[in-house]
Amino acid sequence: MGKNSSRSEIPPGTLYMLILKTLVRLGPMHGYGIAQYIQQVSDEVLQVEEGSLYPALQRMLVKGWVEGEWAQSENNRRARYYRLTAAGREQLQQEVSEFHRVMQAINRVVEPA
Amino acid sequence: MPGFVSTAWRRLRYLFHREQLDQELEEELRFHLEMKVLEGREAGASLEAARQAASRRFGNATRVMEESREAWGWAPVERVAKDVRLALRNLRRHPVFAVVVLLVLALGIGANTAIFSAVNGILLHPFPFPEPDRIVSVHTYHVSGENSGAGYRCYLDWRDQNSVFEEMAIVPWVGSYTLTGSGEPSRIRGGFTTWGFLKVLKVEPVLGRFFSTDEDVQGGPAVLLLSYSAWQSRFGARSDVLGRTLVLDEKNYSVIGVLPPGLIFPGVSSFEFLAPLHENPRNSRNQHQYGVIARLKPRVEVGDAQAELSVIAARLEKQYPETNTGWRIRVSRLSEELAGEAGSSITVLFVAVVFVLLIACANVAGVLLARASGRAREMAVRASLGANRWRLATQLLTEGLVLSVTASLLGLLVARWIIQIMLAAAPSQVGLEGALRMDWRVLVFCLVLAGLTALIFGLAPALYGSRTDLSLTLKGGGRPGGNPSRSRFLSGLIVIEVAFSLVLLVAAGLLAKDFILLMRVDTGIQPDGVVTFGLDPPYAKYSRPRMLSFYEQLLSELKSREGVEGAAAIDTLPMAGGYSGSGFLIEGRPKPADWMDMAANLHHVTPGYFRVMGIPLHRGRDFNPGDRLGATPVVVVNSVLVNRFFPVEDPITRKLLIRDRSFQIVGVVGPVRHSGPAVRTEPEIYFSHAQAGSWQMHVVAKTHASARAFNALVRPMLAARDPNLLVLNLRPMDEVIAQSVSGSSMIVSFLGGFAAFGLLLTIVGIYGVIAYSVGQRTQELGVRLALGSPYRNVYWLVLRRAVLLAGTGLLIGIPAAFGSSRLLASLLTGVEVHDLSIFLAIPLVLFGAVLLASYLPARRAARINPIEALRCE
Repeated sequence: MGKNSSRSEIPPGTLYMLILKTLVRLGPMHGYGIAQYIQQVSDEVLQVEEGSLYPALQRMLVKGWVEGEWAQSENNRRARYYRLTAAGREQLQQEVSEFHRVMQAINRVVEPA
Repeated sequence: MPGFVSTAWRRLRYLFHREQLDQELEEELRFHLEMKVLEGREAGASLEAARQAASRRFGNATRVMEESREAWGWAPVERVAKDVRLALRNLRRHPVFAVVVLLVLALGIGANTAIFSAVNGILLHPFPFPEPDRIVSVHTYHVSGENSGAGYRCYLDWRDQNSVFEEMAIVPWVGSYTLTGSGEPSRIRGGFTTWGFLKVLKVEPVLGRFFSTDEDVQGGPAVLLLSYSAWQSRFGARSDVLGRTLVLDEKNYSVIGVLPPGLIFPGVSSFEFLAPLHENPRNSRNQHQYGVIARLKPRVEVGDAQAELSVIAARLEKQYPETNTGWRIRVSRLSEELAGEAGSSITVLFVAVVFVLLIACANVAGVLLARASGRAREMAVRASLGANRWRLATQLLTEGLVLSVTASLLGLLVARWIIQIMLAAAPSQVGLEGALRMDWRVLVFCLVLAGLTALIFGLAPALYGSRTDLSLTLKGGGRPGGNPSRSRFLSGLIVIEVAFSLVLLVAAGLLAKDFILLMRVDTGIQPDGVVTFGLDPPYAKYSRPRMLSFYEQLLSELKSREGVEGAAAIDTLPMAGGYSGSGFLIEGRPKPADWMDMAANLHHVTPGYFRVMGIPLHRGRDFNPGDRLGATPVVVVNSVLVNRFFPVEDPITRKLLIRDRSFQIVGVVGPVRHSGPAVRTEPEIYFSHAQAGSWQMHVVAKTHASARAFNALVRPMLAARDPNLLVLNLRPMDEVIAQSVSGSSMIVSFLGGFAAFGLLLTIVGIYGVIAYSVGQRTQELGVRLALGSPYRNVYWLVLRRAVLLAGTGLLIGIPAAFGSSRLLASLLTGVEVHDLSIFLAIPLVLFGAVLLASYLPARRAARINPIEALRCE
């Protein structure tokens, strides 16, 4: 897997948040679509790897943040669409606010006074 | 639904729909890949190039699958399941190995489980009652040291004057009674107790009620409660049993309740009914016969209770100096007391059985290790396919666990079987029936044992087996005998086995020698050809003269029968337990400072008893039919009494004062070990039955007939006199003696069995290790033989190892046995704990057995064909 300077690993712990946010924006979506969306919206900076996307989705299924259902994709293939649940929405809020808190803290440390 | 519950639910759902969900995941990944290819195509790449690029980006699809699956949290379980399946397949492929190992472990684990059920039932959780630690036992003892029961009146005084007990009761006084009025007369065992009994235990009747305080007094209504099992078996569990009238020994009792199931009281033999115990007004203060238990009030400690009861005892001493002088009270936890009684023998058996299991583990470890070298290739293949050492080790441990869990299931069957043997062998008055139960604690113990044994015997093979040298093993090379650490480990196992075996054998040897000595002890009677049975004509139907003439006529008719040389009766059959003692005075001599200084056991016999039992008459005469009511009261005493109290004078015609009556000594007989072969003789006084009388008697008859033929003779004779009268316990006198030592004989046979099993395992283990080492050294031995080494040398080469191992084992085992035999001290009566002959003989026997076990492989070594051996290279 080639890495170049314009592409970055997703910061640890934020993948759930990104997936949840994506589902808020797009409504029900399959794994491929989620990965594409994150990639495009982040101007190709964030690369979602399949090796972490699908395990993460499975974990989210277990935790009940998302539900999966099979439906026809835009090009007439069967695909599993993930949809946000109420628990997922709650989780997203928590993660976002936690993220902001941490970002602000990091900013305070790295920004020159 | 709280979050974690629904999460757990989804995880469980996954377990049941795993295949479907896995398929979905696979399809999802396929879809992703296709979309990637499509994306590449749209960017203008060829189909082939797009595919390649997509798979490259995607990486290892199987790994993605696996990692996704792990989200569900079942991965470790699945790995274990896979290992278990693998282990089962391995076992099926090697059935002989599997059967041998399972058998060894099942016997080891089963024996442990059985003995643990005794430890559990007797030492750890003897009472199935609430808060058993608050139940105490209240003893009376005399300052001279004699432990004794309490008189009914004393019990009443304690009960009324104490402030430390919630409730107090007399332990059921169990006897057997004749039940008539409902079909055939039968014998029923029942106990008489006071109304507080169930309150002390804190249990309730399942049906009806327990008796009340006013049924508990002299002259109160005659009522009883049936035990749960009697209710089930005798009355078909019908609820209309309440209010029914039962006739016990010709007296009517009405049924008022049914006791809860499993109501047993440790140390009291099982009973089928409980009825109120009434005070016997005569001598109620100094008839020390009852056990007393009580339940402590909350926050009262044993010490507090002891302090208050001591004050009460002192007060009673002042109040009733005639009867209570010198009698003190001791309060102790019931559980601690019981542990003390059976504790030492159970501890010995438990230690022994743990040793057996350790030997079995060592053996199985040896077998697994030897097998591991055969499986080196399999392990190497696995390792080369990417399994790390930890993975291989867990697989081998899982195999061990599969073995031990299967063995422990079989072991439960073995345990049930051993428990049945124990119950059959144990004397019934010990009350083991309720104590040896397989409750959940025993099951948990059995499972824990399975885990531990798997760890013990599986760890070494797991460590050695998982260490693989890939290139060497796979090439098929590697010197066959070339694993010195493994062979050192095997040697260590053998040394341990020999040492443990020796300890077991020494213990068994000491107990066996002790038992043999015990059986050789002169009990004072000649049991050959003596048959005995009990009779208990009910008091209500038989007046004293009627009872006396009943026995007189019965005995004279018995004597007139062909094949019967003599017949007589005694109230307290030797070695059958149960007799009473009393203080006495010698006329013309001062009262002793303490009555306990002059006490004897009392018996009532009919004329001819001494001759039938083969008890020698030293001086004077036996009783004769003239010694009846109205004639001079006479007694016969034994030589122990004479030696102690009449060392120089002639005791004949001297008078004894017993219970305020005067008796003339007319004869002196030899001593009898009334309490069993292990208990030394004591002063005994025999009364003439016709002068004192006892309703319950044991008939003894000297006869050529077998017990069965004698039975056929006696039954019609009794049926003609009283069809309601039962013949109790008809058996040869030999059997009575054997039963009196059945406790020790049980321990001897169990320990002997364990030791024999341990020895067998050790021999098999040594045979296996020596044979294995011969197999490993075939080439070397072949070369030696080819070079002209004499057979003798080859024999010695092989035997040397066995001798070395056995010698080391003995060097460790002898001091270990020396130290541990102290545990046996309380079980040995006639043999020293460090009996020299046992400590010499047992190691020799063990050493011989080891030599024998290694002889076969040695012979095989000497017969190696050098040419074939070398061709293997």
